[in-house]
Amino acid sequence: MALLIAVKVFAASAILWSVIALGVQVWQAWGGGRRDYSERAGSPARGVVYNFTVAMTPAHKETIRRHPFAFAIGLVMHVGVVLVLVSVVLLLAWPAAGGVVLRVGRPVVVLSLLAGAFLLVRRAVAGDLRAMNAPDDYLAVAVTCVLLLLASIPAMSSENPVVLLIYSGLLALYLPLGKLRHVVFFFVARADYGRRLGYRGVYPPADTGRG
Amino acid sequence: MADSPKDPARMIEQARAALRRSIRGLGAYHMNACVRCGLCGETCHIYQAEPEPQNQPGVKAAKIISHYRRYHTFLGKVVPGLVGAKELTPEALEELVETVYGRCTGCGRCGIHCSVGLDVAAVMRAGRQVVAAAGLVPDGLRRTVENQLETGNQMAISAEELVSTTEWLTEDLRLEMDDPSVRIPVGEKGKRVLYLINPREVKFFPLSLMAAAGVFHKAGESWTIPRRFYDVTNYGFYSGDDGSAAELTRRVMEEARELGVEEIVLSECGHGFRSFRWEGPNWLGRSYPLRVRSVLEVLEEYLDTGRIEVDPEKNPERVTLHDPCNLVRWGGVSEPQRRVLRRAVKDFVEMTPNRQDNFCCGGGGGMLSMSEYGDRRVASGRVKADQIRATGAKIVATPCHNCADQLIEISKKYQLGTDVQAVVELVYSALV
Repeated sequence: MALLIAVKVFAASAILWSVIALGVQVWQAWGGGRRDYSERAGSPARGVVYNFTVAMTPAHKETIRRHPFAFAIGLVMHVGVVLVLVSVVLLLAWPAAGGVVLRVGRPVVVLSLLAGAFLLVRRAVAGDLRAMNAPDDYLAVAVTCVLLLLASIPAMSSENPVVLLIYSGLLALYLPLGKLRHVVFFFVARADYGRRLGYRGVYPPADTGRG
Repeated sequence: MADSPKDPARMIEQARAALRRSIRGLGAYHMNACVRCGLCGETCHIYQAEPEPQNQPGVKAAKIISHYRRYHTFLGKVVPGLVGAKELTPEALEELVETVYGRCTGCGRCGIHCSVGLDVAAVMRAGRQVVAAAGLVPDGLRRTVENQLETGNQMAISAEELVSTTEWLTEDLRLEMDDPSVRIPVGEKGKRVLYLINPREVKFFPLSLMAAAGVFHKAGESWTIPRRFYDVTNYGFYSGDDGSAAELTRRVMEEARELGVEEIVLSECGHGFRSFRWEGPNWLGRSYPLRVRSVLEVLEEYLDTGRIEVDPEKNPERVTLHDPCNLVRWGGVSEPQRRVLRRAVKDFVEMTPNRQDNFCCGGGGGMLSMSEYGDRRVASGRVKADQIRATGAKIVATPCHNCADQLIEISKKYQLGTDVQAVVELVYSALV
């Protein structure tokens, strides 16, 4: 019992560190921001909403249309990761609920693990990817796969969460330092892009542009 | 204008300072967001023409991001090898030159289609700012900026040559319109509109200037071309030298103030529109005291208000429209030119894809001024050539002189048999 409490304190502290460190990074990246002196032609808010909704659909995203398989695999992996992260937070705050989510979501987590393994191999064999990937890119996928692996084993997650919580804590310590920080910057970058294009009246566009 | 530091230590110092400036509130968001998924390749016209890793938008961005990581992330400082962080060295800067100027036009199509939502073009422009600060802008582009700063326009055309060209254009216009009152005013005070033009219109392709003058006359517009700073282009924007870009903008605003105009209207120019309309106020650090519009918006207003009338039967051939990236994807002006063309030509067809999805013609990013990348530029135009051919159009309308030059070249290279015209030329042809 004492071990579990200690592990929970560690994991919670690590998550707190992660949240603070990511917040500081976003703040630093903002750096006071940039005032736009040009005369506004559209709505930044509508641009942001568009960029988080319609712009992400296959009709508006050529990368999805051209690479539906790779995109779907990536999506499956991220769904599993989100599920495990939610479970971990629940295990800290409401253990019973965390266990239920892990048990019910296990098939998704297993699928997500397979997707992660596929993406790791793809990164290693595709020429274009090798040209742009650093060791951290492989590490990020690998450590995420380990998280999914632990979450898919009942003895290490839903039945006895000590190992999963320790590992999640370690992952949270690493998260703001490497490629995994995109967990926050995905939202920040997409919002920034949508805001700027919305300001100029580019987003939302008048037409899909496909014909 | 940025210094051209010869001392390597100074070069690196200036490059690092430029990197620090360029990431604030913009680049850093995107440099931290790239997941290097590699799905963006085919969104790039250069990659489509030359599908090698070096042309992959993600690979190009990764080169710049590697320097960001080295100086602005914890792991990049402590264990650079783990996160692919790289020192800015003279050799690394030389490599960046090819990447940011020779393999990217900054068209931004990859960003629109990025699975994450990364503004790759912002990252690439940060790269240009870094290289420009190090004094390594390719010669052709650097000389064009110098021309603009020294003479007031990128083609070093004298004020006398401008006036003499407008004089003979006026004579032709009077004959064509059968109206002796037509004028092309230069440097006249108290007019409502200041019309900025591309020096290319004065030097090589005066028909678009003549057409604009004819339309302004027909609409009863009060307008003038500036005498000194009439160049709508801004090659400081292309080079990544924001100091020069700001100076070029400031000069135009100063002349506009002296002439007492109420509005600045920009001739058909993609990057000129983006530079002047959107980036200019930010380079200057203040809002403009007057309105700035593209001539496309003005043409539509003339048609809407009945100041001019057109007969599409006068343009019977099939016309398609090329969307300049800086005007449409970065400028938000996508519909006025379509509404104008639908009224002014009989058979208008869209390219596929179009608007914000449109492919760069290959001539963007200052490519036309950098002869060392000429072969790649023309090769990358194949994507656009295929788009044009599929429409069956005889005329390609494009509201950009850079694009027009590239489209003329690829029309010859890929035997498209198409004529390239500005939108205002088609409107002028259809005037009744």
